[in-house]
Formats: sequence, structure tokens, C-alpha cells
Amino acid sequence: MTAQPPPAPDTDWRRAWDPMVAAVGQDFSDGTVRYGADAVTASDIRRYQEPLEFDCPLHHDPHAARAAGYPRVTLPYTAALSWSIPAMWSPGEPPLFDDPARDAQPARTPINNSDPGLGPRTTGFFATGIDMDFVRPVLAGERVGRRGMRLLACTPKETSVGRGAFLTWESDLVDEHGEAVARMRVGTYAYDPHPGASGA
Amino acid sequence: MREPAAGQGGPASQRYFEDVEPGQDLAEVAFPLTVYRLVMAAGSTRDFNSIHHNSEYARATGAPDMYANTSFLLGMWERAVRDWIGCAGTIRAIRGFRMRQFNLVGDTTYVRGRVVSAGLQDGAGVVVLEVRSENSAGVTVGPGQVEVTLPLRAAGDGRVTFG
Repeated sequence: MTAQPPPAPDTDWRRAWDPMVAAVGQDFSDGTVRYGADAVTASDIRRYQEPLEFDCPLHHDPHAARAAGYPRVTLPYTAALSWSIPAMWSPGEPPLFDDPARDAQPARTPINNSDPGLGPRTTGFFATGIDMDFVRPVLAGERVGRRGMRLLACTPKETSVGRGAFLTWESDLVDEHGEAVARMRVGTYAYDPHPGASGA
Repeated sequence: MREPAAGQGGPASQRYFEDVEPGQDLAEVAFPLTVYRLVMAAGSTRDFNSIHHNSEYARATGAPDMYANTSFLLGMWERAVRDWIGCAGTIRAIRGFRMRQFNLVGDTTYVRGRVVSAGLQDGAGVVVLEVRSENSAGVTVGPGQVEVTLPLRAAGDGRVTFG
């Protein structure tokens, strides 16, 4: 029996992230504000509150909002992120759903890391954390946009769910006048699941 | 030392800065996570990633099952904090909101917190809370810090200035 050399370290997946590691500090946005699909409405706020059973009159009672010093009901602070998400589909765009497979994904989505930038395209993606500094709450009737997408960190790492990289992005959430309502730093993990992943 | 929730609206339930001491606990809030609730949360937060509403898809990504999305979990912290600070309180920042474990369907996520510090800054009553989410597996999010303001009893009726 002839002794075999140890296998070469499997580092190709890690090297694939080198361009992103080198791009730390870069703003991946084009400088424009990317606005959410719609202005905030009272019914939007109600739908946000429902699964949270979030009973605060600031968000549904105009009298209470005015008594607290706001001109109209306010969106919960943390909901501003959701209202900065662009539309999934708009009139005139091609279909989103063109595959009847049970778990087929839409052709396009503004979430799920659909644009990996300089990094490899991955099939797994989730948020790992967030920090938010709030300037003020968003009011019903306002629109929210996202300005900037600066890469603050990129750390390739293999985890229990797969191989990929932890990324940290910084953006401002702004109103229709471009004034910041919040600054946020979002951590994500973009990865390819281990072969045969079943979650068991 | 556990405090009653203070955010149910009326001025009588408003918490004031002068009433706060480090070490006070926030009222615990429980969020049983059913498929029904996670589907509602996906729609309300517009986070339609299938990992949050489709068990088969979530398992294929390496997770044990579908799990709560970030915005929903953030909202849980805000709900628990708002219950405590009342209508006249404001939230300045959330820091250290780090996902430690999945908040899985079929489990209950509890949000718990306590007062870390309280002090006056430029005339505002600023309170720093330590907040965490937990389920049957232990801490799932945080512990992080939420910086809030509370009205000063000496300053009047608790109105805040907008704009």
C-alpha cells in the first residue's frame, strides 16, 4: 500500500470571496435613493402590528399620536426597514412566477442577496444581525428609501449550515426629501448549504 | 424586580425617567411561533424569503425548519420596549441585535430585558436597556442594547417634540 499525500485544502470557496474582502469600504450603490414600493398607510401599519400584537396608540390612534407630539400616526421604528423594500413586481414587468415547482423561487426579488456584487452567487442567505440608530419615526403618508450600500466587513467562514461569508453593510433610511430617518448596519451570511443539507 | 407594562396608552400608565433604576426588569413578552403567525409576519414585513414560511425550503438551506425573519424579531424587541416606555418614550438606537440561534416554528420566543443605566443627557432622560430573545434552546437574539428616552416628570405632560 502506497502512502497517499493528504488532500489539498479545499480553499477554492474561500478564494472566491477575495474580491469582496478587497472591496471592504466600497459603496456598492449608485448613489441614488432606492425607495420602497409605497407610502406608509394606516392599513400597512395595522398589518405590521397584527402578528406582533403590538398595541401602542401612537401607531393607530391619531389623537394619541398628536398628544405625544406627532402630526399623524407613526410607523413603528423598526418597520422602516420593511418600507424601504422595493416592489416585487410592477406593471409592465415580466412574470415573477414562471415555474410551477412547489418550492420554485420568483424570477426576481429585492431581498435574498439577488445581486451578490463582487462575491459568488450563493443559494443560501440570511440576516445575522442589525444595528439601527433612529433619527425620528416615520409618519403615515411618508415614503422610505434606502441610500448607500457600503460594505463594512466581509469574513469568509464555514459554518454548520454551509460555506460562505459574513457581510456587514451600512445604509441610511431616508424620507422623500432625502433626510435620514435612520442609519443601519445589517449583517448577513451568504452561503452554499452543505451537500445533502436537510436541517436534521 | 419585575415592572408592569406601561405602554398601553393612557397618561396614567406612562413611565417617567424618575421612576427608573438600573436592574429593573421589563415585562416579558411571549411570541408563540406558529406557521400561521410566520406567514402573517412574512407578509407584513415584506420578507418573503422562503426560509421564513416553507419548512421544506428552509431544511434544504441547512436550517432545522422555517424560522422567524429579522424584521419580525426586531419588531418583537420594539413591542417589548414600547410596552415599557409608553407613548411618550422614544427609541434612539438598537445595537447588538445578533442572531445566535434560529427562532423556529413550533417554539415560543420570549423577549426579556432589564435597565442597564439611566442618566440625563442634554436635558433628556436617557435609559439603556439590555434586551434579548430566548426560546427553548436558550438565547436566540442578543443580548443587545436599546437606547430610549423617557419623559421627565418634572418637565410636564410627556409630550415629545417632532421634527
